[in-house]
Amino acid sequence: MTLALASLLLPLGTALLMLLLRLRSGIWVIAASLGSLLCAGLALHEVIEQGVQTLAIGGWRTPLGIRFELSSLTAVLLVFTAMTHLLVAIYAQHSRHSHARNTDYWPLSGLLHASLAALWLSRDLFNWYVTLELLGLVAVAMIILSGPRAHAPALRYLLLSLAASLCYLLGVALLYGRYGVLDLDLLAQASEADHSTRMALLLMTVGLMLKAALWPLHLWLPAAHSSAPTAVSALLSALVVKGPLFILWLLWSRVAPVDMTESAGLLFALAGIVALLAGGWAALRTPLLKTLVAYSTVAQLGYALLALGLLLRWQQSELSVALWLFVLAHGLAKVSMFLAAGEMQATLGSKRVASLKGATQTMPVAMFAFAVAGGSLIGLPPSGGFVAKWVLLQPLLLEPIHWPWALGVLLGTLASAAYVFRVVALSFDRADATPPDYDPDPFAQWLALLPAIAVWGLALFSQPLILWLSEASG
Amino acid sequence: MNATWTNLLPLGIVLSSLLPGLLIFTLREEQTRLRVALNLTGVLLKLGLVGLMLWGVARGLEFRFSIPFLPGGELVLQGDALSLQFVSLSTVLWLATTIYAIGYLEDAPLRSRFFGYFSLCVSATVGLALAGNLVTFLLFYELLTLATFPLVVHRGTPQALQAGRVYLTYTLGGGALLLMGVALLHSLTGSPQFSAGGYLLPLLETRTPSLILAFALLVGGLGVKAALLPLHGWLPQAMVAPAPVSALLHAVAVVKAGAFGIVRVVYDVYGVEPVQALGLHLPLLALAAATIIYGSLKALQQRELKKLLAYSTVSQVSYITLGVALMGPIAAVGALAHLVHQGLMKVTLFYCAGNFAETLGVHRIREMDGIGQRMPLTMTAFTLAALGMIGVPPTAGFISKWYLGLGALETGQSGILLVLVLSGLLNAAYFLPLIYRGWFATPKAPWPAAATARAGRPGWRETHWMLLAPTLFTAALALLAGILAGTGFSPLGWSQLIINREFDL
Amino acid sequence: MSGASLYLGLGVLLWLLGLHGLLRLRHPLRRIMAINLMGSGTFMVMVALASRSGHNDPVLQALVVTGLVVAVSATAFALRLAVAHQAHRSRQRPTGEHEE
Repeated sequence: MTLALASLLLPLGTALLMLLLRLRSGIWVIAASLGSLLCAGLALHEVIEQGVQTLAIGGWRTPLGIRFELSSLTAVLLVFTAMTHLLVAIYAQHSRHSHARNTDYWPLSGLLHASLAALWLSRDLFNWYVTLELLGLVAVAMIILSGPRAHAPALRYLLLSLAASLCYLLGVALLYGRYGVLDLDLLAQASEADHSTRMALLLMTVGLMLKAALWPLHLWLPAAHSSAPTAVSALLSALVVKGPLFILWLLWSRVAPVDMTESAGLLFALAGIVALLAGGWAALRTPLLKTLVAYSTVAQLGYALLALGLLLRWQQSELSVALWLFVLAHGLAKVSMFLAAGEMQATLGSKRVASLKGATQTMPVAMFAFAVAGGSLIGLPPSGGFVAKWVLLQPLLLEPIHWPWALGVLLGTLASAAYVFRVVALSFDRADATPPDYDPDPFAQWLALLPAIAVWGLALFSQPLILWLSEASG
Repeated sequence: MNATWTNLLPLGIVLSSLLPGLLIFTLREEQTRLRVALNLTGVLLKLGLVGLMLWGVARGLEFRFSIPFLPGGELVLQGDALSLQFVSLSTVLWLATTIYAIGYLEDAPLRSRFFGYFSLCVSATVGLALAGNLVTFLLFYELLTLATFPLVVHRGTPQALQAGRVYLTYTLGGGALLLMGVALLHSLTGSPQFSAGGYLLPLLETRTPSLILAFALLVGGLGVKAALLPLHGWLPQAMVAPAPVSALLHAVAVVKAGAFGIVRVVYDVYGVEPVQALGLHLPLLALAAATIIYGSLKALQQRELKKLLAYSTVSQVSYITLGVALMGPIAAVGALAHLVHQGLMKVTLFYCAGNFAETLGVHRIREMDGIGQRMPLTMTAFTLAALGMIGVPPTAGFISKWYLGLGALETGQSGILLVLVLSGLLNAAYFLPLIYRGWFATPKAPWPAAATARAGRPGWRETHWMLLAPTLFTAALALLAGILAGTGFSPLGWSQLIINREFDL
Repeated sequence: MSGASLYLGLGVLLWLLGLHGLLRLRHPLRRIMAINLMGSGTFMVMVALASRSGHNDPVLQALVVTGLVVAVSATAFALRLAVAHQAHRSRQRPTGEHEE
């Protein structure tokens, strides 16, 4: 547990020191992320060896105190968060196009890292409210780093995010009023299917879905994510939207009474299918590259929503493995896609998809990274996305009565293939290639390729990963 | 798993083309010698390793490489008799096509990218052939799609891109169906190793609808690459690719991957009895027969040589499916022998078409008048392969059609005999005019002296030696496969060996 | 007891009013005020719940205090952003290039 706390405190301390001492150098954040990654890795090892660990903060026991819990899922998410931050930090420090050098990006990214780590570790409704609020504020502050053009989407995101937090907070208040506890486990033991519980869960769900940009509350995401600086887009898509999803999952799979989960599960699953199709369709139609990648986030979150819905409907905890595999695979692939897209649009001098003509010639590594990451989003074997889809499909295909859901997954696969290959096919157009405005930056392109390769490597690593994730969900 | 040489050999066979391919990507355009050296090292190494495995399998050794992958489905590469049939075909033709491609693409742009993806394609094909279970097969099947796409759009022209989009639409759609089918079977029993007679017999009673749906999904997914009737639309379009790609990939590797997959699914996943019990072979048979006739009819209407060959491929590959769907041992021998025979003949025909186009700029059929006087050796190879396609004895094509016909009689499907006869007539109807034109018609205009030509004189110098040598080599192999069919080491003899194991004869 | 219920109802009403304002209004300043109304409503519900059971529940009151701190900082941030946005728009408007 000490190690997990260190993984949280390292970026937090670094960010605060940087704010106090007015330091704006990336080296410190890179070092802190590396340290945090090491600690998270050791924490994962510790959990595997010794099992789940809990910590009552300040020695206060529940119900009064706040409880941190380190499960294997939390440890995996800590590793994932630190790894993503490390990678993006190296990119932000070294790429000529990141526009992050010597800006507030550095302390903010440290704060983002710390609030996410706190979210993964917390098991307390109100503490989650605080982390969510922090996450939202830091995310908005990072979006506006890209200049005045981002102010409008950032303001919209901020207001929606605040409203969502208040929705969630009202739900928390109602639950506390009804049961007098805030701790997840205590609440899980006490909860009953009465009117105020229903109301509270509804409010919290709306707030969390809005924050996680789950269909149909996703409309703020494409503008916000695509107007942010490249490094920030990558962090937002890969990590920030996953935080509220984590809370939503715990809330529904632990606290919600069984007779509520069935009907809610159906709604979640249907919303997931619609998200897959609607997000895919929007990604296919948009003329802008980063907006395409952002809509693909909306679509891919549909898989997570579908897994969540079916897990609730059928009470099959194995499906949460699929959910978290989707989250991990999507996160890695999205980092790669956003970094590649950012590099390409900065070098080719246009934000439009059409400017990628001939990109296989002019920027082969970035384009390759985009395609490889896209392959995981489609679910081509042997990628992380494939393994996630596979785990999701197994229970769907087993009984003929569930086959319509599998059809939804099939359509989602085809939709994602359509928008990924829309870009890839264009990049092979040698007839009138877009010449780069200035020299491509090879190091940044290779950095973009790294997470794409990692997500394919995830497939070969899938057996232990599935084991750890299923231990956490059991 | 112990790391003995028998375990590592299948992996080595895949890596022997994969690693040179990856290295080639990093080379600069002008590093021609190094690229050629890497290519040839890979080819020769693979040839040696495959030879070693053939020797080992003949002595009864088992080759199996596996690493953990999915729950209930390892990543397995193994060498059995059936996979070796396909691996040997791919490897020998890779050798010929590599030499052909080096000659064909001399001084063309983007050769590093071309040869890189070309090697990846061969690795995927070989991996698919060596795949020991459905999950592994699926993996290489999708990789094959991804690695061939850049080759289809290699020229980067609008037509090439259009063809590439069509190709992707079909093959990714097919891949998604295959994924669903494999996942469905996996949800029932996991993905055990392929075994003669299949592993689904215990589920026959309890899981009938699932098995039927899975079969439809698998055949639908594989049928795209095998160009079965409603799913064949990509193949004629993909002919915009450079000639070596059409020759090796679209005539051999990709379509054969589909056909080979159907063989695996019918014999080693479902098994003959369950397929018959579920009545799944009849629709497959009908589909194959319809594709054979349809492809021939379409070929008859073509004016471009490569398009004609493409439709002829649609028709000829379905002989394999037909032989499998007949469900009898003799037809199965014919089908497996045809897998090799068709590959040798069709690759020869495509090389010839490429030689005509590169040397004299001949693309259309009516431009072929009198081409035999200018390029007699290429035309001889073309004639041999075309006669084989028609099924004239003693060519290889005759052998496979003979066995297919006997098989149809054996299983009582005498209607199929009609299909074979009709298709033979149609084949003659579109190939004989070409042979006539080539040898006996008078050219409309004198042949260009050396403008587009790589070399000038009829005979050994009729075209670049790197284009001519592979053509003659594969034509000779096609002829030998027919003449020596009775011996044990011919494709027919090896097929007999496989089928004896499958049907437990 | 009834006093607590009254405040509870009023808090919910305030929350709804704020939500309504957030959805209907366009001007950033008004929307920020609407958010604050939602916040006040929530805190009122929490305070009402805290006193409902007869004795005052310190946990809820502590939560309200924390919530107030969060709300104040969020409002300050939103205001700063709205001002910057407004300034950017008024600079853009004469050129007529910026679309809203």
